[in-house]
Amino acid sequence: MRIHALVAIGASLLMLSGASFVHAVKPEDNQATREKGKQIYEHACLLCHGVDGRGDGPAGWFLSRYEGPRPRDFRGGSYKFRSTPSGELPIDQDLFRTVTQGISGHMPPYSGLSEEERWQVIAYIKSFNQGFKGPVSIALLLPNPPGPPSAAGIDNGRTVYIKYGCQNCHGDNGYGDGKEALDGNLKDTYGHTISPGDLTERASFKGGSSAQAIYRGIMTGLDGTPMPSYADTIGGNDKDVWDLVYYILSLSQERQ
Amino acid sequence: MFTRTSFLVVALSILGGALLTPLLAPEEAQAIPAFARKYNTNCMDCHTAPPILNAFGQRFLENGYQLPGTEDGGSTGKKKLSDLNLDDVNHYLGFRLIGNVTNSWRFKQQNPPGADAGTVENKTEFSFPNNFVVFAGGTVAKNVGFFVELGHDVAEGGAEVERGFVTFNNLGYRDLAHLRVGKFDPNTFSSYATVRQQLGEIGESQRGNCTAFAPCAFNRVGLAPSAFATKFYGLYDRSGNALSPFAASLFNSGAETGVDIHGRPFGDWFLYQVGVLNGSHEHLSDSNKGKDVYGMVRFDYAKSNFFSASLSGFIYQGNSNAKVQTEEDVNWNRYGLSARATYMMVDVYAAYSVDKINKTPMGVAGLFDSTATGLTIGADTYVTNQTLVSFRYDNLDAGGMLDQRTSASFIGLQAKHFLRANLAIFARGDFNLRQSEGGETAARNLRHAFFSGIDVVF
Repeated sequence: MRIHALVAIGASLLMLSGASFVHAVKPEDNQATREKGKQIYEHACLLCHGVDGRGDGPAGWFLSRYEGPRPRDFRGGSYKFRSTPSGELPIDQDLFRTVTQGISGHMPPYSGLSEEERWQVIAYIKSFNQGFKGPVSIALLLPNPPGPPSAAGIDNGRTVYIKYGCQNCHGDNGYGDGKEALDGNLKDTYGHTISPGDLTERASFKGGSSAQAIYRGIMTGLDGTPMPSYADTIGGNDKDVWDLVYYILSLSQERQ
Repeated sequence: MFTRTSFLVVALSILGGALLTPLLAPEEAQAIPAFARKYNTNCMDCHTAPPILNAFGQRFLENGYQLPGTEDGGSTGKKKLSDLNLDDVNHYLGFRLIGNVTNSWRFKQQNPPGADAGTVENKTEFSFPNNFVVFAGGTVAKNVGFFVELGHDVAEGGAEVERGFVTFNNLGYRDLAHLRVGKFDPNTFSSYATVRQQLGEIGESQRGNCTAFAPCAFNRVGLAPSAFATKFYGLYDRSGNALSPFAASLFNSGAETGVDIHGRPFGDWFLYQVGVLNGSHEHLSDSNKGKDVYGMVRFDYAKSNFFSASLSGFIYQGNSNAKVQTEEDVNWNRYGLSARATYMMVDVYAAYSVDKINKTPMGVAGLFDSTATGLTIGADTYVTNQTLVSFRYDNLDAGGMLDQRTSASFIGLQAKHFLRANLAIFARGDFNLRQSEGGETAARNLRHAFFSGIDVVF
């Protein structure tokens, strides 16, 4: 599936995947909003992300110690959890989703902040990166999942998994023990060693473990990590993508 | 002979532990403590090296087990009792088993010789990790939290609520005042928290059959942070039991019953804490006299560059909280400073405290030093992602009865290797820096001590 095609159906997908988030009362992104966001940031975010959003807060080093990932450097462009094409900045709903859900195993969910507070802190976070003042990125389209997965589809998903080399990092059975991982070849943009997701453990799916979240991760990649976007490769065959999604979900089926 | 035998025992224990633990803890058994489970994150969000908290964990604790900057009441939501399942319980329960599996002591000469059964001059023994703790904590509603810790001493037997309290948070406005009521560690929020140590406390061996209000000597001194210790020889509780100079006490007691308020009314750079307690050793009968009061202020810098620092000062005013051997009451007070700096993998902290007894009782006038000090300096650093090396220096300038008191200085070194996030083995050595001063006291005769053990949290 090409980018243009994805864009064409993106809006409808956003309404589905982000339905629970876009209901939030989003305040206007102005100085007053950012000031309120700054106050929240200094209490809730600064200790990991640092006063300037560099990801160097006093508690940040300990999250992964000598390895990665470290807290997000908001000044850079490599945001992992996006619905936008690889290399682009996330849209506001992506940030809202991350703040709300947290990042499994790394960042706690801040659903305890009111929706307005979350939008305010997002407005402030965006002020660290001038790129957010430019044109808003357009989200890739995330179609609805097809009907229930079939055995044949999951078998095909396994074939796709091997065809596109997923096992090189995630391992033959999805434990995150692929050769590239075991050899320590997987680095993030800061040069820190990082581990691929354990696909047998849904709680470790950093971008979410729903079928659509996995689809999104495959299509957009995780910028700043070795996980690329497959939008220009497997993206042309939507059935293969969904088969792959269901195959990945099947790896963790027995542990749910 | 000692060195070879002891080293062999320690080495075999560590090696055995390293080999066996993967078998005992298969992949499926991996678990994380309650708060990390609840928020689906990992231990290191809140800890530099468990149980020591990083800046984020400190704010989480201050906020009554709510994420810093929120009044979330626990973000996972509350359920009806009938809807609860084991996963929900997991969000509130944690377990920790920690202690030594081998203990090796080297004495110049036991005092008295052979004081501990089977002991000549050296002693090596196996033991089961002596401390098993079950704790439950979290929030029951927005700005209402709780914590209960049930401890079981495996060697001594018995279990008790070591800490148990309720918190009411963000009274007035956010971070103005957080109230704790119950049995808690007074020194929770200063730069060097008493109960969060890498080198665990090793209790002293006290000579048995001590009678009330009579001198009670030691076979072996304890290895504990000197700044937190009682420091005086010849102090007694109200029942006449001798207080160990090496036991944590006063502001640094580990747990006392009372009421405590803390907050950051002026921003993140300043924390205050005030409280009133039944007494410095309530379980030793100090609850029927006057209440003890304390206050602490802390100044913080925690912004960027993976760096944070803090400086704390505290005052604890005792009120008829101990007796001397003439059974006269004393007001035993403590004043102290603590500091901490953390930069990336290095965490350095220190505490210095002065214990002062106001008005030396007439019965021991001229026989009693009413001032004692303790200095503790500690540091932890990760040398690899899984290996933590810790250091602690202690100097106890003891006070109390002049014919009993003996100061002590020790250095402790520990290497702790995390086999998994929640399972570590460690080896530790403590060295007496004053052995060359000689004398027949326990503080001099103990030369070295080596330990190996495990730390399991789930």
